[in-house]
Amino acid sequence: MDGLIILDGSGRPIIQSNFRNHPPSYPLSIVDAFNDALSKTLPENRATRSVDSGDLDPVLYISSTASGPAICCHVEKGGLRFLCPASQDIDPLFIFAFLERFLSVLQEYLQDISLAVLKEHFDVVYQVLEEMLDDGKPLTTESNTLRDIVLPPSFFNKVLSVAGVSGLSNATPAPFSSPIPWRKAGVRHNKNEIYFDITEDLDAIMARNGTLLSSTIWGRIDCNSRLSGIPDLNLSFINSKAFSDPSFHACVRLQKFAQTSSLSFVPPDGNFVLMEYQVSPSAVTRGSTAMSSGGLQNQLLNFVPLILKSKIEVGEKGGSFTFTVTPRSGSEQLKHRLGVENVVLSLGLDSGAIGAFCTASFNSGGQGFGGSRDKEREERAAGVWAWEPNKKTLRWTIPSLGSPSASSTWTLKGTWTSTEQVPRPCRSIMMHFQTPHMLFSGIKVDQLRMTSEMYKPFKGVKIASKAAVEWRW
Amino acid sequence: MDGKFFSRGKIQDLRKELQEADHKDKKYAKRKTVLKKIVANITMGNDMSPLFREVVACMSIQVLEIKKMVYLYLVSYGRGKPDEIQYAIGNFLTDCNDRNPLIRALAIRTMAYIPLPLVIGSMIEPLRHCLRDQDPYVRKTAAICVAKLYVYDPKLVDKEGFITMLRDLLADSNPTVVANAVAALTEISERSDDIALKLNLGVTNKLIAAMGECSEWGQIYILDSLLNFVPQTSLDAEGICERILPRLQHANSAVVLTTIKILMFMMNYISDNEFKDRICKKMGPPLVTLLSSGPEVQYVTLRNILLIIQRRPLILRNDVKVFFCKYNDPIYVKLAKLEIMYRLSREENFKPVLAELHEYASEVDIDFVRKAVRTIGRLAIKVPGAANACIKVLLELMESKISYVTQEVVVVVKDIFRRYPNEYESVIPTLCDNMDDLAEPESKAAIVWIIGQYANRIDNSLELLEDLSYTFLEDPVEVQLALLTAVVKLFLQKPDQGKDLVSKILKQATEEVDNPDLRDRGFMYWRLLSINAGAAKDIVLSEKPTISTETDRMERGALDQLLLHTGTLGSIYHKSPESFIRNTKPKWLSDSPALNTASRQALMMNIDDGPAPLPPGSIAPPPPPRNLESLDPKSSLANRDDGNGLRSPVDEMGRRPHELDDDQEDDARENGNNVDDDDGDRDALANERYGDPYANLEQAFGGSSAFSTNSASRTKGEDLIGF
Repeated sequence: MDGLIILDGSGRPIIQSNFRNHPPSYPLSIVDAFNDALSKTLPENRATRSVDSGDLDPVLYISSTASGPAICCHVEKGGLRFLCPASQDIDPLFIFAFLERFLSVLQEYLQDISLAVLKEHFDVVYQVLEEMLDDGKPLTTESNTLRDIVLPPSFFNKVLSVAGVSGLSNATPAPFSSPIPWRKAGVRHNKNEIYFDITEDLDAIMARNGTLLSSTIWGRIDCNSRLSGIPDLNLSFINSKAFSDPSFHACVRLQKFAQTSSLSFVPPDGNFVLMEYQVSPSAVTRGSTAMSSGGLQNQLLNFVPLILKSKIEVGEKGGSFTFTVTPRSGSEQLKHRLGVENVVLSLGLDSGAIGAFCTASFNSGGQGFGGSRDKEREERAAGVWAWEPNKKTLRWTIPSLGSPSASSTWTLKGTWTSTEQVPRPCRSIMMHFQTPHMLFSGIKVDQLRMTSEMYKPFKGVKIASKAAVEWRW
Repeated sequence: MDGKFFSRGKIQDLRKELQEADHKDKKYAKRKTVLKKIVANITMGNDMSPLFREVVACMSIQVLEIKKMVYLYLVSYGRGKPDEIQYAIGNFLTDCNDRNPLIRALAIRTMAYIPLPLVIGSMIEPLRHCLRDQDPYVRKTAAICVAKLYVYDPKLVDKEGFITMLRDLLADSNPTVVANAVAALTEISERSDDIALKLNLGVTNKLIAAMGECSEWGQIYILDSLLNFVPQTSLDAEGICERILPRLQHANSAVVLTTIKILMFMMNYISDNEFKDRICKKMGPPLVTLLSSGPEVQYVTLRNILLIIQRRPLILRNDVKVFFCKYNDPIYVKLAKLEIMYRLSREENFKPVLAELHEYASEVDIDFVRKAVRTIGRLAIKVPGAANACIKVLLELMESKISYVTQEVVVVVKDIFRRYPNEYESVIPTLCDNMDDLAEPESKAAIVWIIGQYANRIDNSLELLEDLSYTFLEDPVEVQLALLTAVVKLFLQKPDQGKDLVSKILKQATEEVDNPDLRDRGFMYWRLLSINAGAAKDIVLSEKPTISTETDRMERGALDQLLLHTGTLGSIYHKSPESFIRNTKPKWLSDSPALNTASRQALMMNIDDGPAPLPPGSIAPPPPPRNLESLDPKSSLANRDDGNGLRSPVDEMGRRPHELDDDQEDDARENGNNVDDDDGDRDALANERYGDPYANLEQAFGGSSAFSTNSASRTKGEDLIGF
């Protein structure tokens, strides 16, 4: 890795590390080549519809720079582009892993990553960059250790500097003195608390005949630890057999997990990702829900609480469509009366699409609202649709399913127009939804025990699951 | 605060501000502000170098924040101030002895950034101290400084004994220091011709022990350095595998992929097949997990998976569904997935794969659709049981009447004819019906080939060829060559009908065309036909060897070598990195008593015939290949004859018609016919030799290379069949 360049939205460099081994024109040639390549992927320069703006090769090859051929890895965040060029053979994952870490540290330091924030705190960004990357080598990337060396630009620090406490006396005189590399020494909190956020993501493709073509459930446990001293924690779970292919934060004792399936660790201070895992489909059979003959895939179907039927007819210069959504009676969410929220259906229309008009309606299926106030409720239940001209995407949002009856139906009917003679909309409809208070895996936190410290911490666990289901029509 | 620092500052104003700040500057707040402005101006690209003296004067202020900004300034302008740098040296030396380890490290680090003789000369002693500093932060910083110094003055580093000091640091009590020492030594050995990092078992074990407590980057350095350990026995290699296996559960994707690289490397030295199978099984899931990350990481992972599964087909063998494309995947992810789906498909699982490909072929992105159609064709050729179903899908796709789909179909169907002679010719009329859509050279050449080859069975073949050759003189040379051969074939099969056409085309080819290839071929046919029509028939219409998908497998030695670059650029572009990036030493498997026989054979071949080192800074075309095909004049003529004579001999070399397929190999293994020592080795033994190990890399990966500038234009590599 040769260094890092941060570009603003219009492709101008705003912050860059020092490219010591390279002629001064090297970073410039990287930036030019990147902007050039980027402009080629813009929709107006592409013959075909670009599904998403991120079509640029993530490991861009630049055949001639001031230092010979090079590659440039890049990611986008907050409207800014972060480029890492390299003129030597290197693992691009190394770069991406670094970028990811750098961004998360920035996020922690600045709360928000945007042009304005970066400009305001550019000195902090520089200091952090200097500590994190030395001549292309990641140096100190643990945010706990970094905070010993570079002070975050908090209000508190401003007060300190005005009061005349200089940075020198403020930074811990002996950095890296902590016996635990990821945890800074001498942490003190008035209120001792620790929070766990467990989230699971279902990623699935639904075939035309309504069966699951492929599906995966990813899970992760985020943790926010604000505990004093050196707390030694043990977190155990119910249904931990559902964890498969876990990967852990460095603080987790691997052997202990292998033996007891519980997480034993001394946490870093602050926010971190404790664990990521895949949910093994065989472990999600729930209590009485015995395995049906349809096999595991169909078992997972029960996590998709809705059935989508779509009819799309393409005509000349446009077309019409009807989406009908009905509840899946056997689904876990409806059986256990768990709220399903933020159901979003989106359909990418053809590149020539210029507009759409639809009506959304809801039929409660018997219970009936009646009356004018209920009319309003009904309209709300039907959700709202929107046409996004930039992305050529039609989006229909149902904020909450409420508690539907078996025969409730949501319908979106409409037409769209296009400049293309034979429009070709996307072959799939994306459905996103969230189920707070439920995990697909059925994993639950059993208990959290703390040894080595005397105080009683406040503990919090939050669970939620999200799904992105691609329905082919 | 806001963006006020980002206003363009005039040098005089800033200088004045800095001078005025000297008075009554409580806690240096004023100077801090001015320095911030200066640094902001550097960021904006304004030249702040005239302020050198004034800024250096601030070096003596004992405020960390100010020191950092001054050092930032020095890093930017120090190199360009050989005459004034002397004013900074004294302060540098003072800071190198500061009681704050942060400042000691900062000073030595900044000095290493300024490659001026004066600075280098004065940093030798402080660097020596820093390498033995009591604070690990200073030691680890100093270790990296040695590598930096090496870039400017290798001899000095050696003379001053810094290399030895680095080696000593490998036994440091602090794991981060160990990791940085490893990183520095690795970098030095990569730059140096005479210093090579070699690890023995003892050091290796110590490094692995230190790894557990390292930062993720340290773990990567150490893992990477394990490539410098050559196991002498199978047990050594097994032991290392066992000890690094837990790294597969690391959250950092680069740690995971580097671990896989080392496992793949070590397996070359392991003789126990069961052990290897077990390792292979453990490598699959972490690779899949990496696919849950952002598209960038996915892309890198997919390109690597493609290499890995070619060498160890057991990995991910049953996971083809993981690679099904989502419609909102970026195009580069889709193309990479497509290739893997093809690799993983076989008799038992082709149905869902084909259904997916059919789906993709109806999408909107042209590149993706084309590639999907291609893949259907390749699937038909690879998996005989799938051929029928594939043909059906292809014909169905043609009904869409989308011109680029039709063109792709024609190209792949031609390949299918070559693979399964006399089975699917019934579809020819359908192809001919869509002839008007075939505007691109490749598809036009394909239909011309088909008509010529099957002139006998197509009633109106003369008429069709007449139509097609109407524009003979304007056609691209690829099509011209195809037409030339096709009319000769037509004439040989239907002498009465083809007579006029063949003489017209031969005349045009020999008299009105400038391309020497075309002209020569025209003369050759002419003479052949006029001297001995019977012989012409034997040669031109001779039985062609059926093609197989083996052409697109990578040669074993090259694969082994690329796998040493797992995760690195070489594995993304599927080219040996020294061919496209500077300062890269080629890597080879090192021989040892434990190296598997087949790996060794592949290695020896490569070292004998290996490509000469390429000049730095060039993406060299593959060196002129040596044709190692059989020298039987008849068969080589037959090769030449078949139409797309433009193909370079590279393609022809890459063809290995009679070979075991991946999957057969695997199946044999599963059935217990486990006679070989290594799952990928069998074919390496059976292979003929190749001149250039990279000759068919392009081909092996379907040309979705990052180097193709125009994604719509197909690279030659995508061609499955050569003639």
